[in-house]
Amino acid sequence: MAAASAERRGPRDTIAVSVRDVGMVFGDVHAVRNASFDLPKGRFLTILGPSGSGKTTLLRMIAGFDAPTSGEIYINDRPVSAVPPHRRAIGMVFQKLALFPHMTAAENVAFPLKMRRHDARAIPEKVERYLELVRLGGYGGRRINELSGGQQQRVAIARALVFEPDLLLLDEPLAALDRKLREEMQLEFRRIQKELGVTTINVTHDQREALVVSDEVIVMEGGLIQQKAEPVQAYRTPANAFVANFIGVTNFIEGVVAARDGASVSVSAHGCTLPGVAVGEALAGGDACAGAVRAEQIRIAPRAETLGNLDTLVEGTVVDAIFEGERIVYEVRVPGLGDQLFRVFDHDPVNHLQFSPGDSVCLGWNARDMHVFKK
Amino acid sequence: MTGSRSKSVVIWTFVIAALVMLSAPTIVVLGASFTAGNIITFPPEGLSLKWYGAIAQASDLRQAFIRSLIVATICTIVSIPVGTLAGIALAKYRVRFARSIQIYLLLPFTIPLIGSGIGMMLVFGNMGVLGRLWPVGIACCVINLPFMIWAVTASASNLSPDLELAAANCGAPPLQRFLYITLPAVLPGVITGSLLMFILALNEFLVSLLLVDARSVTLPVQIYNSIRSIITPDLAAISVVFIASAAIAIAVLDRLVGLDIFLKSK
Repeated sequence: MAAASAERRGPRDTIAVSVRDVGMVFGDVHAVRNASFDLPKGRFLTILGPSGSGKTTLLRMIAGFDAPTSGEIYINDRPVSAVPPHRRAIGMVFQKLALFPHMTAAENVAFPLKMRRHDARAIPEKVERYLELVRLGGYGGRRINELSGGQQQRVAIARALVFEPDLLLLDEPLAALDRKLREEMQLEFRRIQKELGVTTINVTHDQREALVVSDEVIVMEGGLIQQKAEPVQAYRTPANAFVANFIGVTNFIEGVVAARDGASVSVSAHGCTLPGVAVGEALAGGDACAGAVRAEQIRIAPRAETLGNLDTLVEGTVVDAIFEGERIVYEVRVPGLGDQLFRVFDHDPVNHLQFSPGDSVCLGWNARDMHVFKK
Repeated sequence: MTGSRSKSVVIWTFVIAALVMLSAPTIVVLGASFTAGNIITFPPEGLSLKWYGAIAQASDLRQAFIRSLIVATICTIVSIPVGTLAGIALAKYRVRFARSIQIYLLLPFTIPLIGSGIGMMLVFGNMGVLGRLWPVGIACCVINLPFMIWAVTASASNLSPDLELAAANCGAPPLQRFLYITLPAVLPGVITGSLLMFILALNEFLVSLLLVDARSVTLPVQIYNSIRSIITPDLAAISVVFIASAAIAIAVLDRLVGLDIFLKSK
């Protein structure tokens, strides 16, 4: 999959990390299969996937904690399978931070410099500079347990970056934070990464984080890389039904391909024929397929006339209306499509007409917004 | 309200009774040591420090005390590396037969002391080292090692495996990881265990009795020998000194790591 995705790589873009056909087998479980991708220097890559998708295993192999059972990882063009973790110039922020509890914040940040035999006289100044980078100037003397969760995060980031590593790895370090702090730290990661230009690989199951922080996203599932793309691309043109379902809120309509003409395809489902866009070359007439429409691309109105300019119109009944502040989420049952529940976003709850459960409504979307995947 | 009051009366009665039972022997020996008379009695006849003066003069008691300190020191010095490494290994790594190893480590302590004492007497006798002090220290170490291992395991099992990975990621090779990260993290357990080992070795009577001869009696054995001839208040006085040494060790422990970890040690 990765080989097929287009790399925008100029002659000056050197590859920082290259993963070649890497596999990892624990007993009879294939945690990672045939993973291959290149990451140019200075880019921020997020590996996104549900738990058990193999994303953490892949990260641990890059860090050097586990050796791949097949394939090879290259960092700055050098194969690293035989290089133990302490000889790799990689900074890592752990999921549970793994700060050294018996040391102060400054001692934690100084530790990599001490271990890597930096000039002892330059260490205090450098530690302070990196504490300031993460906005913890003056907190160096605090013990780890005297710092708040967010401050501990920042110490962990400073410790991972202070020795100017070739590569920064983030193993879901934000998963345990509350939402507001998490969103603040996401922007912080992005700011620091841009400021230092360090190549970064982040692992997360949070699709929003992946879209917010990254230059590139890899979606993993079942040990396989499903798609590698820039965040906007991954969102707009998911490579398969899994990616479409994992990123964003998507309605799937299952059916059979009635006809295909170039990219446009018509899907027959429950006696209706719905126009859409085919994803992948393999899809042909008669194939079982799933049409995917994002919740925000469906318009909702009391009558069909208001939606006259849309390609596909269906009628349904509101089952639930969930007010989320900046948007309303409607759940609409559509009898014409096998009583399927559709999720629809209305992003203007201030001006729009609001529906209540039981109301009859009309849903509509454009053919170009329905991606049709082979099943 | 009367229900809760009668409940608290019952609880306090139990607490006070337990405290009296536990501290009575210490109080009796403490009181008896201050007697002005020539035989051990409680309550003491008059008050004087003359028996403390007597034990300060008695070179045999003093030397026995020093020998006990030497035994306790040997025992502690041997148990620190052995117990620390074993404790960390049992807590951190998936050691095969960890459960069996733990039971095995308990064995010297579980089988009657007289049995293991005789076993060690035979071993050291064959080696021809009976009557020296270091075999007594080793024997105390063997018997009490589970305490050391428990103390270290208790601290080591709180240790996140990520810490060592983080240290590796920071550029620390394996030995440095152990010295800078693992060891400091289990240090409270090591201190607890060492002081415990020291106190237990200082107090050890039965195994010492089997392994010492007339030249190398330790303090508990010396006191026991004296009791068999005549019971004079100097024995109470030396017992108080003895209790005080143990109390100092506990105070040091509390000062260094806090007693809560000692009480929590599994």
